Formats: sequence, C-alpha cells, structure tokens
Amino acid sequence: MSTTAAKRIILPVEGMTCASCVSHVEEALREVVGVSQVVVNLATEKATVEVDDPQKATLPELMKAVHEVGYKVVTDRVNIAVGGMTCASCVAHVEGGLGEVPGVTRVVVNLATERAAVEYVPGLATLADFRLAIEDTGYKFLGLVEEAAQDREREARQQELRRQRNNLIIAWSIGLVVMIGTFQPYWFLPRIVPEWMNSKLFLFFLTTPIVFGPGRQFFVNSWNGLRRGLTDMNLLYATGIGAAYLIAIINTFWPEAGFGGREATFYEAAALLTAFIILGRYLEAVTRGRTSEAIRRLMKLQPKRARVLRDGQEMEIDAAEVQVDDLLLVRPGEAIPVDGVVQDGYSSVDQSMITGESMPVEKKAGDEVVGGTLNKTGAFKFRATRVGKDTALAQIIKLVEEAQTTKAPIQKIADRVAGHFILGVHALALGVFLFWFFFGYGLWFVPESRLILTPYLLTGMGVFGFALLTSVTVLIISCPCAVGLATPSAVMAGTGKAAEHGILFKGADALEATARLQVVIFDKTGTLTKGEPSVTDVVAMGRLTRDEVLHMAAVAEKNSEHPLGEAIVRGARERGIEPEDADGFNAIPGHGVEARLNGRTILLGNRKLMADRQVSLDGVVAEAERLENEGKTAMFVAVNGASAGIVAVADTLKETSREAVKELQRMGLQVVMITGDNRRTAQAIASQVGIDRVLAEVLPEDKANEVKKLQAEGLRVAMVGDGINDAPALAQADAGIALGSGTDVAKETGHVILIKDDLMDVVAALQVARQTLRLIKQNLGWAFGYNTLSIPIGAGLLYPFFSQMVSPELAALLMATSSLSVTMNTLRMKGYVPPIRRPGHTRAIAQEATA
Amino acid sequence: MRKVSAISALVYMGLSTLAAGLFLAITLAGDYSWVARLGGSAWIFLLSNIVLMPVVIPAVKKRLGA
Repeated sequence: MSTTAAKRIILPVEGMTCASCVSHVEEALREVVGVSQVVVNLATEKATVEVDDPQKATLPELMKAVHEVGYKVVTDRVNIAVGGMTCASCVAHVEGGLGEVPGVTRVVVNLATERAAVEYVPGLATLADFRLAIEDTGYKFLGLVEEAAQDREREARQQELRRQRNNLIIAWSIGLVVMIGTFQPYWFLPRIVPEWMNSKLFLFFLTTPIVFGPGRQFFVNSWNGLRRGLTDMNLLYATGIGAAYLIAIINTFWPEAGFGGREATFYEAAALLTAFIILGRYLEAVTRGRTSEAIRRLMKLQPKRARVLRDGQEMEIDAAEVQVDDLLLVRPGEAIPVDGVVQDGYSSVDQSMITGESMPVEKKAGDEVVGGTLNKTGAFKFRATRVGKDTALAQIIKLVEEAQTTKAPIQKIADRVAGHFILGVHALALGVFLFWFFFGYGLWFVPESRLILTPYLLTGMGVFGFALLTSVTVLIISCPCAVGLATPSAVMAGTGKAAEHGILFKGADALEATARLQVVIFDKTGTLTKGEPSVTDVVAMGRLTRDEVLHMAAVAEKNSEHPLGEAIVRGARERGIEPEDADGFNAIPGHGVEARLNGRTILLGNRKLMADRQVSLDGVVAEAERLENEGKTAMFVAVNGASAGIVAVADTLKETSREAVKELQRMGLQVVMITGDNRRTAQAIASQVGIDRVLAEVLPEDKANEVKKLQAEGLRVAMVGDGINDAPALAQADAGIALGSGTDVAKETGHVILIKDDLMDVVAALQVARQTLRLIKQNLGWAFGYNTLSIPIGAGLLYPFFSQMVSPELAALLMATSSLSVTMNTLRMKGYVPPIRRPGHTRAIAQEATA
Repeated sequence: MRKVSAISALVYMGLSTLAAGLFLAITLAGDYSWVARLGGSAWIFLLSNIVLMPVVIPAVKKRLGA
C-alpha cells in the first residue's frame, strides 16, 4: 500500500451530543496536518476523514485530536488464538505483524495463553486482515477466543443509554419529591404532605445530589470544552442549572440578599431543570440508537456459520473463514453464508432482504446466490465467488453506512447556524441581563407578578435576582439540542428504509437531490424497453395461417446469429412452434435470408430482397408501413416466390414502464426519453409509454450534453439508465439513477443504485427521498421554530403585558419537548412504506393498466 | 500551544474584567444594593468570558500561526 496516496478513514466517535460537538470534532480533525476534509455525522457518531498525507495524519494523531477536544474514538477488541509461538521473539513478531495492520491501535500477545489481544478501530481493520498478518509472519491463526468479537461501538451506545436512563430515574424520582416539597403549602397538599418536606434544608439536601449526580456531566463536559476555548450545549445547561442552584442556596442561607428570600428558593427549578435536560439527553440517545437499526438489521443478515465441503468432508466453520472457490452446502431454512454460483441442486430463495422482491426466486445449477438470503425449500451446493467484504451484503452495508456519514446540503446550513448559536445565546443572555437590570426591572416590575406554573410570587425579588433569572431562562430555552439530530436522524432513517426496498442512495446529497427533482430522463434501450427485440406482430397473407408464417420465418432464421433472427426463433418457440432444420440456407447481407424446406423456397427480408426476387408486395405494404410507424421492424416472408406475410420485431417495453412513467407524471415530474434511435421509432415507443418529450438520434457520448442542456434551463434532472453505458450522463445529472445493477453494487456509477431491474423502484426512490426531505424540514421546523418562538418569551417579552415570567424549569420542559418532537417525528419513518409499494396502490395501478 | 492559551486567557480575561468593571462603575452611579452590583459584575464577567473565549482563542492561534 502506498503510504502517500490519499485515503478516507471513518472513525466512530463517542461522546458527541449536539451540533456544536460536531463542529468541535470537525475542527480538531481538520487541524491535523495531512487532513484535507472532514465530515462528522452526529446521528451515526462517525467522522469521515479525507487524508492527503497518511504519513502525517496517522491514526494515533487523529485519535489524539479527537481526544483533546473531549471525545473518544471507539475501538473494538478481539482475542485471537495464535498457534506456533515458542519464545519471546515470536511474541514480538506477531505483535509487529498485527501492529502494522492499518486501524490497529494496540496489540498485546501473551505467550503463555497463546493469545493476541488486538485493539482496533472497527471498519478500518477486519478479522481477515489479522489472519493475513499472523500467517504472513509464519504463525497460525486459530480463530477467535470469544464466540464473536465484542461490538464495542454498540456496547458504548448501550452504556450511554443505560447511564442516561439511570440519571433519568435518579433525577426524576428525587426531583418529584423536591417538587412536592416545594408545593407543600399550596392547593390540597398541606392535607397530605407533611410540613417538614417544605423545609429549605430538606430541599437543599435532596437537590444537591441531583445537581452533582446526574447534573455533574454538564459541568464536567462544559469545563472540558471551555479549557480548549470551545462552547457547547453543556455550557448552557451548566450555567442554567448552576445559576438556579446558586440562587436557591443564597435564598436558603442568606435570605436577605435580594433574590426573593426563603419563599422563592428555586430548588425545584434546579432539580427539574436537570431532570428535563436529562430527559432530552435520553431521548436523543434513543433516537441515535433507533435510526441506525437499518444497518444493524443488515448486519444481522450476515450468517455466522457455514457448512463447507473440504477434501470430501463436510465441516461447519465460521462464515468469515470461507474462501473463494470453497464448495458450500445449504439446507432448507438455512441462510446462505456468502455469494456464489449454484453447482448442484434446486431450491427457492427468499431474497427480499437484499432486493426487496416479495416472492422467493428459484435457483438451479448456474444461478447466482447472494449471501445473507434465506434458502426456503430444497438443498443445494454452491461455489463461493465473493467472500468477506466483497459480498453483495457487505457492499450494501458499506454503501449505506457511507451514505449515512455524509451530510445533506440542508444539514450543512443547519450545522453552520447551530455552531454559532451557543455563542449567540450567551451574548443574548448577556444583553437580556443588562436590559432587565438597567431598564426592564425599573419600568415594568410588579411585586405581585409570578413565574408561570409555579407558586412563587416575585415580591422579594431584587433587580439582580430578576435580571439573572431572565438571563438563565434565555440560556435554557434557547438550547438548540434538537437541531443537531434533525437532519442526520432523518437521513439515516430514509437511507435505511430505501435499502429495505433495494434502493441504495450513495449519500445524503443524492437523497436530497432526488427529492428535489423536476425532470426524469429515461434511456430507452434496456431501461424503458427490455433491450432485446421480440416478435410483436405476425401478419398472414394468402393461404398460410399466422403460425405457419412464423414457422417459415423461424426455419429461415434457425441458424442465424442476428438479433432479429434470434428474436424470431425465440418467438416461434414461445408459441409452441419448433422450427425444423432447413435443407439449405443462404444469408444475403443487408437484405435477409433464403432457405429451403421440403422443396419450398422461403425468403425472409426487407423490401429490397423482395424486389430483387420479383415478389409482389401488393396488399402487405400498407400493413408494413403501419407497423413501421409503430417503431417496429417489419420483415417480409415469401414462400415459393409469393408473398406470405410479415413478421414484425421490436424491442418491447418492460412490464412496469408505462405505470412508472404515469406515476412520475402524477407526482408532477416531467418525463423525457433519450435514445440513439431515429425519431419515428423513438416517437412510437414514447407514445406507447406515455412520454411527450423525446430526445432522439442522440449519440451515447452526447447524452451528458443533453442532460446539461436541461440543467441550463434551470431544471433539476435525473438520468435513469444503465450504470455502465450511460455513466457520463448519470454523472452529469443531479441524480444519476443506475438501474438493475444486480448485487455487484460497488462498481456502479450513479448517485442512486437500484438493485432490481424494475422501473417502479425509480418511483419508490423518489417517494422515499421526498418523504425523508419532508421529515428533515419538519424536524428543522420543530427544532428552529421552537427556538424562534420561545426565545422572546424566555427573554421576558410577555412580562410588560401579562406580568408572567417563564421559569427555568418550564424553559427546560419546552426544550425537552423540541427533542421529543424530533425523536417522535423521525421514528414515524420506521413504519413508512412508499405509496407505490403499498398493496392497495399496486392493485389500483394494475386495474388501471387493465382498463 | 501553551503560549496560545496564556495569551488568549490574558486577552479574554482582561476584556471580561473590563466589562465587569464597567458594569460596576455604572451601577455605582445608580441606587443599587451591593449584592446587585457585585453579583451583576460576576455574572457579566462569566458570560463575557464564555462569549469571548471561542472568539479570542482561534484569533490568537491564527495570529501566532499555531
């Protein structure tokens, strides 16, 4: 491997909670010498680093940069049993070999136990790399000591979830007691709550463990950031909780200080503020876990074990150990461990998890099978063709993971705003404090006023206490914690949902571009049509029937290798006609063929051939012209010098082309067809499929220019075509959609890859993309809209009119509500099915087509 | 790196102290309690620091080419 070649490194990062954390990690990594570009995704908790100079931007440097700003790169650890080690130098060799594997952060080899403990960054190094490294140094790789490598990343996520849940339980259980104690003198509570619960000292002793227990994380994290000159949402929380707690202590121990006295201690504000913020944190952790479920589901498809035939012996091994050309056995109900080709046996395989096809697919000798799919009925043997990271499933997982680590353009704007938001909020809190201190309090303060939803009268509140309270409320209420999750969580949900239907978006930008499309250009041959000619019409003249005309034509073409000839023979066989071998055969280049059968002379070809052989075409010319106007190739058939009829051949439409075009038009998109065919043929196909705008006689190399011309009209254009032939046009389009790539998705060009060869998936891709963009907009609306509305209220805008102030705990409740809204909204995607794939819709389309 | 931190701290702490001092000076002219004056100054000092830190540190870092 070249050490100077540019490369991309994906690092799983732990500890990020908000959009400003994203900026911090991005900034820290960008500052590492040799790094050219960094994209951090909060929802996937991954940093994608483009490295120009791998010698300078080494993994330890990158990890150090992340660590220095208070976060951590997640590492995984495996214990490998190593055979053949006898001395200390063997240990050094194995350690050296494993240590050189890119992505390995630490290796400890124990000679006594013959084990190597390898710590590595998941995604950068694999088990296969470790095996190779051990074997290269002359030792034996004996497999993993544990059943499976521990998934540290998932463990870290679960640990965070557990930690926040414990915090939530502590904060809420004690917080509610503090609230009951605070409200003891009010309503019916004096009758059921003892008076001592309202003791300020009692409340102090209950609130303190909340602030320094579950709330401690905010003080620690904000201090870690501040030491490096970084501000994040933890700082908002810490200043908010800290100020409320400080006021409570002052009012308890120094009641005359001017903060409202003993009757306005705000213990419940500090306690509930912490509780609500932790509720928000917990919800965010849940969202992050849920949205990556699609990847986890795909990963779960990877079978753990495989049954291999080696030296005539059947043995069960780890699926990761299967090698190319291994012969594998699969029994009914078992998952297929790797990709391969069936050698022997017959079965039906459920491929829905990879391609989205609802029906099982039949497999016989010579057919390809895909790893991760489920064998249903029969048993078969197959030869492995792709293993490890080369399997279709591994490629799909990689593609979806990569897509989820990219940023949609809409997110870049949101991140930029959120990145500056914290600073702005503190500046605003400063301004609000000064305003209420010097002007507001003197102009509007009413001693009888109170905090919304609290029992407190603000009677004893001095100018500093009032201005400070307002300032703290602004800090809490402005927290844009939901902004950081709004877009990436929706993108993760959208790309995951698309993958379930065999639609792979190569990035969040592709998803957004697809959602915003205005024009869809379809390549004709192989995209709208099947790409191979077939018999469409048979016209009989004279005494022969249509089957006899087709029979004669098939006899003449039986040995032909011309696509039109092959189509005629295939067409005859499909109709149950088996053509005999001709007694004589003569190809007439550019004209047609001549054959003899049982003493009869058969001619099949164009007008020129018929004219040369003086065959009268009276009565069939009009019919031929009609067929040609429909874009078909009409071939005349003559028997013994007399015209017998016409066989028309054409490239036919795919079953779903018409419905897909209709659906796209119904969705408000302009549909265009592009082809190298002449205008008449192109127009004929276009009218069959329902397309008005046709770009005909376009050479393959000019297709990209045609896309460019449409873009120059200000239109956002998708190109749907073959991923290989139409590559330039696919690349030029805003969204290049490569159709029917099968399972070798890695080599495809295009921004969107459809595994199946079904045009309905183009519609489904658009529907998923639009739904995701809708979700993103709604999420951003909830997150930013909430801030826009609540900041003026928090700053005391309503106070001069209604004498009511928002309390810090109410501000925290509102803040948690915005996180909850985003979480709930994103989770809606879980049950989403593109309308085109809903059972009712498919039926309606089928009925429409029949009608 | 240490030099950047020291110079930055000097700048943002100095500016924050100035802001807090200015606040205190203004309150001395008005009818405010000492709790309000000193508490307010402390709050101004804290928020000014928070606002200035992320502005000053990168600026100093840039200037020193660190």
